[in-house]
Amino acid sequence: MYRTAARRLLGAGFTTSRLLRLPKPRPTTTIIPYSYCTSSMESPIGNQSVNPNQSDPTAAREEGHRRDESRKPRAEFQEEQARVLAASLRHVPRLGWTEEAMIAGSREVGVSPSIVGSFSRKEAALVEYFMDECLQLLIDRVDSGLDLQNLIPSERVSKLVRIRLEMQIPYMSKWPQALSIQAHPVNVPTSFKQRAMLVDEIWHTVGDGASDLDWYVKRTVLGGVYSATEIYMLTDDSPAEYRDTWAFLDDRVKDAFDLKKSIQEAKYFAQDIGAGVGKSFQGLMNGVMQTMSTRGGRSSAF
Amino acid sequence: MALRLLSSRRRLGSIVLSYRSPLASLHSHATSFGFQQVKEEEKSKLVSNVFTNVASSYDIMNDVMSAGLHRLWKERLVGKLSPFAGMKHLDVAGGTGDVAFRIFDAVNSVKRRALRKVDEASIEETQIYVCDINPNMLNVGKQRAAERGLSDNRSLVWVEGDAEALSFDDDSMDGYTIAFGIRNVTHIEKALAEAYRVLKRGGRFLCLELSHVDIPVFKELYDLYSFQVIPNLGELIAGDRDSYQYLVESVRRFPPQERFAKMIGDAGFEKVEYENLVGGVVAIHSAIKL
Repeated sequence: MYRTAARRLLGAGFTTSRLLRLPKPRPTTTIIPYSYCTSSMESPIGNQSVNPNQSDPTAAREEGHRRDESRKPRAEFQEEQARVLAASLRHVPRLGWTEEAMIAGSREVGVSPSIVGSFSRKEAALVEYFMDECLQLLIDRVDSGLDLQNLIPSERVSKLVRIRLEMQIPYMSKWPQALSIQAHPVNVPTSFKQRAMLVDEIWHTVGDGASDLDWYVKRTVLGGVYSATEIYMLTDDSPAEYRDTWAFLDDRVKDAFDLKKSIQEAKYFAQDIGAGVGKSFQGLMNGVMQTMSTRGGRSSAF
Repeated sequence: MALRLLSSRRRLGSIVLSYRSPLASLHSHATSFGFQQVKEEEKSKLVSNVFTNVASSYDIMNDVMSAGLHRLWKERLVGKLSPFAGMKHLDVAGGTGDVAFRIFDAVNSVKRRALRKVDEASIEETQIYVCDINPNMLNVGKQRAAERGLSDNRSLVWVEGDAEALSFDDDSMDGYTIAFGIRNVTHIEKALAEAYRVLKRGGRFLCLELSHVDIPVFKELYDLYSFQVIPNLGELIAGDRDSYQYLVESVRRFPPQERFAKMIGDAGFEKVEYENLVGGVVAIHSAIKL
C-alpha cells in the first residue's frame, strides 16, 4: 500500500514506506507547488523516525544517490510536470478540471502549453495529482502532531475524514466534475487505488491492528462512509462551513462502529448457542471464518 | 556540409544552387538514396526530383498505397499533439498540408467550444507554418487550401525551407511535426537539432514515419507488398516507377524505432516515446523539449 503511494508521489526511484513518514517542514494551509520533490531528495535520511516499522535508512541513501546520477533527466521532466499541475490547480476553481486550466497553469510556470498534450488522460492527471497531494498533506498533518490521544476510535476516524474533506473546500464548486472524471472507466483503476490508500492510511493512523477478514470489512465500510460524506458535502449549504456535513459524518461513523460491535456480538451469540446445540454450529462458523481469513490473508499483498 | 555553409542561411529552398566547389569534392561523403549510395550533395537534388514528379498525384498515391490508412495515422498524430488555440506550430515536409489542415480544424473547433473559457492572456492567434523544401508540393498545398476557402486565412503560412536549416527563430514554436518526411532528409541529426532549436520550452516534437516491422510472417508480407506492388502502382497511377522504388527503399534504410528514439534523445529531447501502428509499418515518435 505504502509502496504504491510512495512510488506515485515521489517518482519511480523511491519504493519504501519510510519516505512518507519523514518529518519535513511544510506549510499545511496551501497545496504545495514544486518543492516536495526536491525537498525529499535533499532531506537527511539519517535521522531515525519514530515509527518502529521502518527498514534500513542506508538503503534509502544509496537508492537516492543512484537515482540522482542515472535519472536526472527523467526526474527533471517529472518535476516539471508536477510544477505545471500544481500551478494548474490554482486555476481550477475558475476553469474547472479541464485542459484550459492546465494550459493556464503551464503558461504560469513559463512552459509551452504543448506539454499538456504529453500528460496521459489529461484532466485525470490533474485530479489524480490533487488526490495524491491531499493524501500527502493528511499524512503530514498526522505526523506533525495531531492530537488523537483523547479521542475514542470513532471520533478519531471522524476527525481524520473531516480534515481530508476540508482540503476539498476551495474546489467544491467544481468537485462534481472531478468525481465524474474519476468515474470514467479509464480512470477508475487509479482513482480506486487512491481511495483505497487514503482509507488504509486513515485506519492505520487510528491504530488498526487487524490482519484478518476485519481488514477488508473496515476499509470497505470506511470507503463507503467517506464517499457518502463527500457526496453529501456537494449539496450542503449549511451556514457554519458545512456543519451539516460533519454531523452527517459523525452519525455514519457511529453507525459503522455499531455495526462492527453487532457483528462481534453476533459471533459470541453464535458461540453460546453452539455450546448448547452442539459443537457442530460453532465448528461450522469457525471453519468458515478460518477459510475466509486465510484467503483474506493470502490476498492481502495489496 | 560545404554546400549548406556556402548558401545563405535563410533562403535555402532552391536546389538549383547546387554547384560544386572545390571544397565539396574533397569532403564529400556518401549517403543512401534508397538502396543506392550517392554523394550527399546529390541526395537532396534527387529527392527534389522525386517530389517534383510525384507532387500532383501524391495524395492519391498515399490513399492507394495505404488503403486510406494514412488518414487515420495523421489523425492519430494530431490527436497526440493536442493542439490548442494560440499555438505556434511548425509542420515540416508537410507540403500538401494534410497535417496542417487537421491541426487547423482541431484548433478551430476546440476554440469554438471553449470560447467561454478562453483566458484573457491567450487571445493570440494560432499560427501554423507549413515548411517544405519543394515548391511544387507547397503549391499543391496552397491549392488545397484555396479549395477549402482558406487561402486568405492568416493562420496557415506556407514557407519554403530546408529541415536542416530552418528559417525560424529559436524558441518560437509550441509544436513541431514531421510526417513522412524525415527519411528524405540527408542528415537526420541536423533536422533533429533544428527541431530542438526552434521549439519553446515544453514544446513537443512528433514524427510520423514508416518504420520497421518485426513480426515474423507479417514482415514477409509487408516486404512483398512493398517491393512487388508499390512500384507497379506508382507506374500505373503516377507514371513513375522509380520514385516509388526510391520510397520503399528509403523506408528500409531509415533507422529502426529504437535507434531513431535514441537519436532524438541525443538531440536533447526528453521523454522520448514511440508508438507502433499496424505492427510497426508506421511509428509515431514523440518527445518534449525541456
